[in-house]
Amino acid sequence: MWNSDPDRRRFLKTLGAGAACVALSPADRAEAARLLAAGAFESADAALAWHKAPCRYCGTGCGVEVGVREGQVVSVRGDEKAPVNKGLLCVKGYHLPGMLYGEDRLRHPQLRRNGKLERISWDEAFDLIAKEFGGALEEHGPESVAVYGSGQWTIFDGYAALKWVKGGMRSNNLDPNARLCMASAVMGFMTQFESDEPMGCYDDFELADDFVLWGNNMAEMHPVLFSRILEHKRENPNVRIVDLATRRTPTSNYADLYVEFRPGTDLAIANGILHLLLKKGTIDRKFVRENVVFKRGIEDLDTIGYGCEGDQAEQYTFKDQAQASSLEELEEFLADYTPERVSEISGVPKAHIDALARIYGDLGRGTVSLWCMGVNQHVRGTWMNNLINDLHLITGKISRPGSNPLSLTGQPSACGTAREVGTLSNRLPADMLVTVDEHRAKTEDIWGLEPGTIPAKPGYHAVDMFRALSRGDIKAMWIQTTNPWVSLPNLHRFERKPGDGRFVVVSDIYPTPTTDVADLILPSAAWVEREGMFGNTERRTQHWDKLVEPPGEAKEDAWQIVEVARRMGMEHLFPWATEEDGDWHEPMFEEYRRFTLGVGKDLASYEQLRKARGLRWPVVEGKETRYRYAAGHDPYVKKKEGVHFYKAKKNGEKAAFWLRPYHPPAEVPDAEYPFWLCTGRVLEHWHTGSMTRRVKELHQAMPEAYVEVNRADAVELGVQDGQVVRVVGRRGSIDLPARIDGRGATPRGSLFIPFFDESVLVNELTLDAMDNISKEPDYKKSAVRLELVSS
Amino acid sequence: MKPSLAIPLALLTLAACEDPHRARKVSVPGHEGALKTTATLRADRRAFDGAPPVIPHGELGAACTSCHTVRGMAVPELGFAPPLPHGETSGLSDASRCTQCHVFRREESLYVASSFAGLRQDLRRGERQHDVAPPVVPHPIFMRENCAACHAGPAAREEIRTSHPDRENCRQCHVSAATELVFAR
Ligand code: SF4
Repeated sequence: MWNSDPDRRRFLKTLGAGAACVALSPADRAEAARLLAAGAFESADAALAWHKAPCRYCGTGCGVEVGVREGQVVSVRGDEKAPVNKGLLCVKGYHLPGMLYGEDRLRHPQLRRNGKLERISWDEAFDLIAKEFGGALEEHGPESVAVYGSGQWTIFDGYAALKWVKGGMRSNNLDPNARLCMASAVMGFMTQFESDEPMGCYDDFELADDFVLWGNNMAEMHPVLFSRILEHKRENPNVRIVDLATRRTPTSNYADLYVEFRPGTDLAIANGILHLLLKKGTIDRKFVRENVVFKRGIEDLDTIGYGCEGDQAEQYTFKDQAQASSLEELEEFLADYTPERVSEISGVPKAHIDALARIYGDLGRGTVSLWCMGVNQHVRGTWMNNLINDLHLITGKISRPGSNPLSLTGQPSACGTAREVGTLSNRLPADMLVTVDEHRAKTEDIWGLEPGTIPAKPGYHAVDMFRALSRGDIKAMWIQTTNPWVSLPNLHRFERKPGDGRFVVVSDIYPTPTTDVADLILPSAAWVEREGMFGNTERRTQHWDKLVEPPGEAKEDAWQIVEVARRMGMEHLFPWATEEDGDWHEPMFEEYRRFTLGVGKDLASYEQLRKARGLRWPVVEGKETRYRYAAGHDPYVKKKEGVHFYKAKKNGEKAAFWLRPYHPPAEVPDAEYPFWLCTGRVLEHWHTGSMTRRVKELHQAMPEAYVEVNRADAVELGVQDGQVVRVVGRRGSIDLPARIDGRGATPRGSLFIPFFDESVLVNELTLDAMDNISKEPDYKKSAVRLELVSS
Repeated sequence: MKPSLAIPLALLTLAACEDPHRARKVSVPGHEGALKTTATLRADRRAFDGAPPVIPHGELGAACTSCHTVRGMAVPELGFAPPLPHGETSGLSDASRCTQCHVFRREESLYVASSFAGLRQDLRRGERQHDVAPPVVPHPIFMRENCAACHAGPAAREEIRTSHPDRENCRQCHVSAATELVFAR
């Protein structure tokens, strides 16, 4: 509040109460003085300090400057020095500070006793976790404990969890919510390049000529990246945007070509494009000869299945088998995907398929393919990732400035933590696998553990982990930084009541439906309340310092894990100084960094990252890499020109082109359930809304979920805009208001519902069918019907 | 400033050069009794000083930039649509996506009460070297390249209205501080 005398004198001087002034008449000055007296303005400069940090929310990884005064975050502005966003943010980013200050922040550990939550101390909480996890290990073995983590975990959190679970408890039951989000992209990159994460980077947004968006509403989900594309297009009118989608979104408004297809038929479209590329001869034969091998896997629909119902539901163990293939076999394989047939399957006009083939086939223009959940949350998500990468391999449009497949990530550290640290049930750091002997040995060596500590069998993946919890095979589970009882598919299947004989711990910052079913709730420090590092979509690792104190007794997730490990007699895993007598972040990071050095995943040093606005790995001799596998860019490529897929050891250091057919979705509309249901996100809210709904401006802009209904369907059913309707599926039903021609518009026979609203759980309707290879569920295609609700 | 964003010619011819140091009330032709937005109302529309304001009206079914032009526009029965402040950053084109940052307020209540207390506006930051020196721009220029949007015309608040709207090249005299350090060899 502004009230001190020197301040007042300074103010009056500034306003020009003395001689010359900024422009005020005596009346204006009187008004200004009145406003001041009323406390409308306040002194800000004195104690305000600005610090760099990445945004807390999406995988774009925008840089922000955080304004801190008197121990509180009071402001945020886009960081003009951040290469990702060059000062721009989206509405979520601009309103970041509000996320920390909801009045219901979790402040103390709480234990549920006789159905009631009671405050307990950290010591009691840690002792209890150590006892429950230790007890489960002793009685039921390492397969009975689990940690379910997050793509919003910092690198420190993920690394601490990985080391504790795999190196301490000797279990592989560690999986992140990122399994629900980009596991298909991981498997795409791994099956083709034997190394995860994109070869390209955001520089392509100013270098490409054509942007092909595969089922990707960038205007809402990666808004700042979309702004970069639009700015590039404004300056270069030749730039084109193609929006392949199953519904019109704000992104479609900016597309030069909007291609609407039936859900799941993107597989056929991609094959249709390949068919035309080969037929027209618009492929890069030299590139293919030198850098590509062809492969085929299992294609039989019944063998593969969808892993959701019947026999497959609990024991879903499909394993793909690779066979060598060839360009000639590809030509034969693609004979089925004529424009006529693809048009019939997908509903896309032949002319549009041809236009897409001309875009990919114009070897003189740079093409960037972009995708996110539409392709990844797909019962054949790995296949779809393969096919997009295939389009770039066959045309040689890869690892070149302005020409790349670029898979976008949803979470701020899906790349940095889930993928790079390897907090997946089958992974170890830097792309290593628990199933490979040398990888386990290397990990045990760096960790100083005896050989054979880490089990070779992968643990439960996300959906299976919760199925195992329901069955009772998992006895103790710790969930951090995620909200599965809103975000899992087919939620009814995972319903739980505390006190069912299993022990569930949840660490979070606000109460959610997940803390509602927890036995023990732990308060976490959020974002700049602790030190952290995230890794974004373009391989950029970004560090931030702790800037303010967390509320109450809240503590960072990594620290919580380390404390429990100590109490379980595993202090050797975390030998660094305790919080009281020194900082452990740097030594922990430097140990993790050892995994990445010399294998093409090299992270910059802790010191370098503290100073930089993020750096893109591999960082060799202090220099970041924009384009992987590209001569002149990637320090691991020794050739003078061209590309070298040096990580793909199994294929003679060549990339794998996979032949992948079209398979129909697991559930399709029929007479009883005639509508497609697609779920997704909105610009204003972050995932399940537990943070953003506590921000005034964001909640007030988007207060509740709705169902998008096509106007013709609405007229036919007698539904008005805003009217509450019932959406009924095989697994459940929810009531919510209809929206007709809102920001998105679905085609006839198709509905869209966002999943941020915990009071209308759309995941009670979704099917837990999943991709056969990545084990990522398909949230985009279930069948439902629409009913009127009598008032 | 990009060509599409230059202040239209009409403004150029508004007035001859005047002494910028002479304090005077801005009179805007055709806009008698210029619209006043109180500081409280201004604060209510922002999470904190510097946050993008929420949209204070309902959806009108028109592109935002059809009223929020570089000069702003008087809209019958609605009032004066303030000019677009973003010059060099977002430009005025088909590709302007206002609702990426500015959202409507469709609901008055809160989901959960919040104790967030954001930065409030501070009008004392425009340091000047001496009494008749032009004040240094006290805020970042990024996203605010069109000075006239807030400092001139009917939508300009009294406290920050310029005495010399006819002088277009504001940054000829008003510089923005790029560092807080002083020169040292
Ligand atoms: S939510 Fe994503 S696009 Fe928006 S500011 Fe944060 S990182 Fe940037």
